[in-house]
Amino acid sequence: MNRDDAEQYLSCAMSIGEQLLINGAEVSRVEDTIRRICMAYGALRVDVFSITSSIVTTMYGEGFGTCTQTRRVSGMSNDLNKLDELNELSRNICETRPEPERIAEALEKIQNGPRYSLGVQILIYALISGSFSLFFGGNLKDMAASAIIGVLLKFLETVLGRTPVNTLITALLCSVAGGFCANLLVLTGIGAHTDLISIGNIMLLIPGIAFTNALRDMFSGDTITGAIRFVESVLRSVIIALGFTFAGFLF
Amino acid sequence: MQEFVQLMAATAGSLGFAALFNIRGKKLVFATLGGFLGWGVYLAVEHVNANPYACGFCSSVMLTLYAECMARIHKTPVTVFLVSAAIPLIPGASLYRTMACLMSRDWPGFTEQSTYALLFAASMAAGITTTTVIFQIVWDCFRKRGGYKHDR
Repeated sequence: MNRDDAEQYLSCAMSIGEQLLINGAEVSRVEDTIRRICMAYGALRVDVFSITSSIVTTMYGEGFGTCTQTRRVSGMSNDLNKLDELNELSRNICETRPEPERIAEALEKIQNGPRYSLGVQILIYALISGSFSLFFGGNLKDMAASAIIGVLLKFLETVLGRTPVNTLITALLCSVAGGFCANLLVLTGIGAHTDLISIGNIMLLIPGIAFTNALRDMFSGDTITGAIRFVESVLRSVIIALGFTFAGFLF
Repeated sequence: MQEFVQLMAATAGSLGFAALFNIRGKKLVFATLGGFLGWGVYLAVEHVNANPYACGFCSSVMLTLYAECMARIHKTPVTVFLVSAAIPLIPGASLYRTMACLMSRDWPGFTEQSTYALLFAASMAAGITTTTVIFQIVWDCFRKRGGYKHDR
């Protein structure tokens, strides 16, 4: 393999790693996947280092010397279907060693994979917030109120997603709006308990994947990433909970 | 009766989260079952030992075992089954109450709720990590091709 080929293969491996990281994989999985793909194509030594926002890979092999590539990774989409497919792709690559063009095609196909339609997503938001209000002890009125706010939050999130506002601010705005709506719905008599309605909506916004991944990363040896994710998810949870209680402060 | 409603709500919530994370088809069903199992174990343990931290620990041990097994059967990352199953255990209610107490300057309430939220999250974390680590060791003993991340 000459140097140009090596760079091309490494670039493919990096793209897969990047997508894995964005779609909710642990860092050890990202590093392992890149290393195995490079090894499968004949690298003798591969050093991968990844944290939540960056991946650096250096591989060494006879014929192409030393290649290094870096990716800055931004954004989180938490699409576990893509995660599953990327995992399968990496398994296939190590077994069949396809050409880089084929890998790029497969990646493209995964990127444009199916998502639930907006209508179904609205239903999902209503289902989550409604069922968690009930779960934490609310009655049917709370469940209905929480489901209504869940739908509103989905709209707000979609609108804010089109602006360049970052995700932390989006979460803050959503939770303040959610808190106000909970109070309004209780005033108008649709809901019964402000706290139980808000708790249902909090569950909707809480960073579940980030939190479980923080634990998994920390205990598989990636302390830095674990710590970053842990701080991020705690900060986000606190901001969300504060946002929801903020409205109660005014009413 | 109330426990039944809670169990159903937890299952519906897990289904919602699994769908929110774009899990599809057969995996959606198994991810939802994880949430049912997790909260079912919590309620069962509650009958024996009312300490909520013990319930949280046992429940997260069970659902991690379930997620690790499912991940190996379906050859998919453990995250897919673990996250949606663990969602009902997340102490969202005490997190909210902590902040509500903070806002109304109710310091005894703040201490109580924040301690609960932190300790509960810690017992969940302990359950998930010990199970993952032990499962990993046992699994690697029985397999030649151990350590392959993309097999699970």
